[in-house]
Amino acid sequence: MNTQLLIQLLANGLIVGTLYGVVAMSFVLIYKATQVVNFAQGEFLLVGAWVCWWLLTKYQLPFYLGMPITLVFMLAFGVALQVCVLRPMIGEPVISVIMVTIGLSTVFQAAMKWIFGTNLQPFPPIFATQTVGVLGLQIQTVYLMSLAVSVAMMAGMAWFFQASKYGLAMRATAFNQQVAQSLGISVKTVFAMAWAISAVVSAVAGVVVAVVNGVSAGLSAYGIKVFPAVILGGLDSIAGAVLGGIIIGLLENLAHFIDSQYLHWGNLYEIAPFYVLIIILMIKPYGLFGTKDIERV
Amino acid sequence: MKYTLLRSAAAALVFAATAAHAQVSVGHLADYSGPTADVGVPFGQGAADAMAWINAKGGVNNAKVNVDTVDYGYQVPRAVTQYKKWVGDKVAAILGWGTADTEALTGFVAQDQIPYISASYAAALTDPTGQSHKAKPAPYNFFYGPSYSDALRGMLTWAAQDWKAKGKSGQPKFVHMGANHPYPNAPKEAGEAIAKELGFEVLPPVQFALTPGDYTAQCLTLKNSGANYAYLGNTAGSNISVLKACKTVGVDVQFLGNVWGMDENAAKAAGDAASGVVFPLRTGVSWNGDAPGMKTALEISKISDAAGSAYRPVHYIAGVCTALYLKEAMDWAAKNGGVTGPNVKKGFYQKKNWVPAGMDGVCFPSTWTETDHRSTLTVNLYRMKVTGATDAPLNDLIKNGTIKLEKVTSIELPRKAEWQGW
Amino acid sequence: MATQSLLPAGDFRTSYAADTVIFPTATGRWAAVASVVLLCFAPLVLSQYWLSILIQIGYLAIAALGLNILVGFTGQISIGHAAFFGLGAFTSAYLSSKLSVPVFFSIPLSALITAMIGLVFGLPAARLKGLYLVIATLAAQYILLDFFSRAEWFTGGTVPAIAEPFRIFGFTLRGDRQYFYVVLVYLVLSFVLTTNLMRTRDGRALVAVRDHYLSAEIMGINLTKYRTLSFGLAAFYAGIGGALYAHYQEVVSNEGFTIDRSIVFLAIVIIGGLGSVMGTLMGTVFMVLLPEAMEWVSALLRGSAIDQALALRNNIAFLREIAIGLVIVLFLLFEPDGLAHRWRRIKAYWKLYPFSY
Repeated sequence: MNTQLLIQLLANGLIVGTLYGVVAMSFVLIYKATQVVNFAQGEFLLVGAWVCWWLLTKYQLPFYLGMPITLVFMLAFGVALQVCVLRPMIGEPVISVIMVTIGLSTVFQAAMKWIFGTNLQPFPPIFATQTVGVLGLQIQTVYLMSLAVSVAMMAGMAWFFQASKYGLAMRATAFNQQVAQSLGISVKTVFAMAWAISAVVSAVAGVVVAVVNGVSAGLSAYGIKVFPAVILGGLDSIAGAVLGGIIIGLLENLAHFIDSQYLHWGNLYEIAPFYVLIIILMIKPYGLFGTKDIERV
Repeated sequence: MKYTLLRSAAAALVFAATAAHAQVSVGHLADYSGPTADVGVPFGQGAADAMAWINAKGGVNNAKVNVDTVDYGYQVPRAVTQYKKWVGDKVAAILGWGTADTEALTGFVAQDQIPYISASYAAALTDPTGQSHKAKPAPYNFFYGPSYSDALRGMLTWAAQDWKAKGKSGQPKFVHMGANHPYPNAPKEAGEAIAKELGFEVLPPVQFALTPGDYTAQCLTLKNSGANYAYLGNTAGSNISVLKACKTVGVDVQFLGNVWGMDENAAKAAGDAASGVVFPLRTGVSWNGDAPGMKTALEISKISDAAGSAYRPVHYIAGVCTALYLKEAMDWAAKNGGVTGPNVKKGFYQKKNWVPAGMDGVCFPSTWTETDHRSTLTVNLYRMKVTGATDAPLNDLIKNGTIKLEKVTSIELPRKAEWQGW
Repeated sequence: MATQSLLPAGDFRTSYAADTVIFPTATGRWAAVASVVLLCFAPLVLSQYWLSILIQIGYLAIAALGLNILVGFTGQISIGHAAFFGLGAFTSAYLSSKLSVPVFFSIPLSALITAMIGLVFGLPAARLKGLYLVIATLAAQYILLDFFSRAEWFTGGTVPAIAEPFRIFGFTLRGDRQYFYVVLVYLVLSFVLTTNLMRTRDGRALVAVRDHYLSAEIMGINLTKYRTLSFGLAAFYAGIGGALYAHYQEVVSNEGFTIDRSIVFLAIVIIGGLGSVMGTLMGTVFMVLLPEAMEWVSALLRGSAIDQALALRNNIAFLREIAIGLVIVLFLLFEPDGLAHRWRRIKAYWKLYPFSY
């Protein structure tokens, strides 16, 4: 067995998996707080990446300036979206809200293509050294940055939800909206905050992917990868979503290893997460770490 | 009975009245906004500019050609409904685009007898009578340029020569890379067959999606397998991702592209990861190359770029050639019974080694016959060379030579009957 | 959640049979018959373009009907419907061209096969709820699509699958003017069957599962059985729709069954109105005509004064896409219960005019 290739692939899986985890984290944030399945998550990555690219190339801003401005923009973007489109849909059947997010994703994809064009645009180089060697695998420096930022974000989130006033308010709203309202928590503010944070986190992931692969419409595909990650990790915890993302990254690369060495089917890389998902859902209908809804009256 | 008599009498009258200077209509499907827009925009622009230039010079049959350009965004249902509209408008021919719409419409165009000149070069479209038994008869499908299969055959022929020229011994290894879709898969069988014949060791194919993404895993496998020649079957967008990932991982392989897989814009986006990729050109030269026909191409380019300073990617010129062949086929039809679908089809069979007027050295001599729609078996191979940072606008990069297209060689494939259709 | 009652309140019936009649009023009955008769004359009058639009509405409405049974009447969610549509298309193509089954029989046969595979997917799906179900159906979509692209014996691989044209008693019905009747017959049959299903015991059981599954279980309705059954039914209708699509195009390729088509089906059902058979037809008409209307508007705009002023040129295509997305979003913001609900409100307004307040 080719252990060196396996280790390299698993290292790659870990790195890519943290990105999936970051996107899954932002997805679960919205789902937990507002019960909305956000099909436009991939478009948040896209918008964040394009805005950052634009700031860096048109205005020649350095990265440490352009990135925070992008994050501030995404904050406002998330809030605006929630206020204008999602707030009127509170109380509607969940499937209508899903349809609204799908409609939004169409609008954003077309708008980005209109404003920035259809060609793939490379990101201006950010770090002096492009690649770094880890475990025998050459990886892009930006992935190390994303690893550091993801860990920081997870720690930040953990603190936010455990210790801060707004974090507790969000957890309370997620648990039971009516009781939270009766305690004086403004549910509307909580919802807006959830969308804003989710947009910001997705933008970070979008910029990381863009630095490696360039900005293009293909970034939206990360929004689909999120779904198996969310199920594997469970809907209830944000940390679980990150774990799910990492598992998906490792799974993809492991499947690719098995495929390229033994099976030669060719496409296990893309389809293995979905097969595993179905199997897990058949055995454990609430995902690996999800809490079972008590249904007995 | 009376009704049909009346109807046919009315039709005859209308036909008689309009036959003399009948307005010719041509449909044009383009992808300016969908997943293949990065290559669809230059090709569509080339075809549209060429048709406008034809109209500026008098059109066909003493009347301007009515060109209806529709951006269908690579959505097949939209292409089908648009086609139905055009059938109602009695178009003489359609300039199509991608594999998806071409495949969906093969049945319809054969029934309705409307020539469909596509930008999809699948070999399955080259068999009008079905004589090869490898493909469904496609009597009304045409395209200008070598098919994907023939292009790959040509590149592998060169690869075998290149291996020997480098003085390497042993069996070279070949791997086919692409998405699991009709367009990348079209030449897979043909490629692997000729690779075995030429003495290559054929490795299991590697898949990567048609969208840009992270393909480090595929590059690791590629490196590990020790492949020497890898065919990239996707469009430029996702090929760029593979090239960059493989450069990071440190893969040493000779990449072979397809006609849509590499162009000047892709080289700018990929930077020096694109340097060294060998791919076929559908035209004799790239933009501003040394050929008498480039003058005509420059004139046509001025239709949408009055200053005449824009650099046109390779796909633009291919679009121009495609439209000009259609125009000459329609001219022939006008002189031989009227510009209708079946006559335009016959118009494509008018000449052997045919080059449109004014495009010598740019468009390849092409021959279509009743039984063989493989227009050309010459594979013109170029290598992309990138020598530096690609931040500047494309015009400047070409002018100062940072991005350059070097001619490698021209492979002349034999017109084997057993190679038709796959 | 909007609950759709099968009969509106305020109507007075004296017998059980009268209560479960399909057309409650004579006007409704005559309107339905008249519209079918009118449609029979359509191929003589309309152009090929409009006939192709009607055919498209036909096979999409049949498939969307299945999704409506699943989503509207049983309360499940599925974003994998296009995969079953594709399965029906490929199966019918395979049966008619490789196994030489006459097309007249291959359409219902492929629908049955698709239904059986739908049952297989329905079994695990019956245990899942909410987001888990959404994602499981998404996984089913990708898995089936992957199967299509890899099973070359079935789908043909690089050469797309060929479906034979429709033949009956020696007549070949191909092309828009003739195939229209095939689609019309299947459409009428499907709609009559579905409306009938909803007034039978099983139909009422499905609605009970949607409305309050605990009470339904208490009453003795087997939840797993009915949830699985509704997946099977949805797949059956999708299979018919797909088979009709296959024999219309005569060429079936993978590219027509992506997640975008699943989303279109979902949009049809939601915009038409969940749980309404008439709403499905209205939703299909809406979703098919929306891109055409936008295309028409953009054709008008091209070259006009607004185009020059905003320098749109090629970007009109993006404007069109944005407009389509916006129409869906705005429609859902202002009429979340769908077209059927709006239609019922309009009817109620005129019924009670001038006292409709």
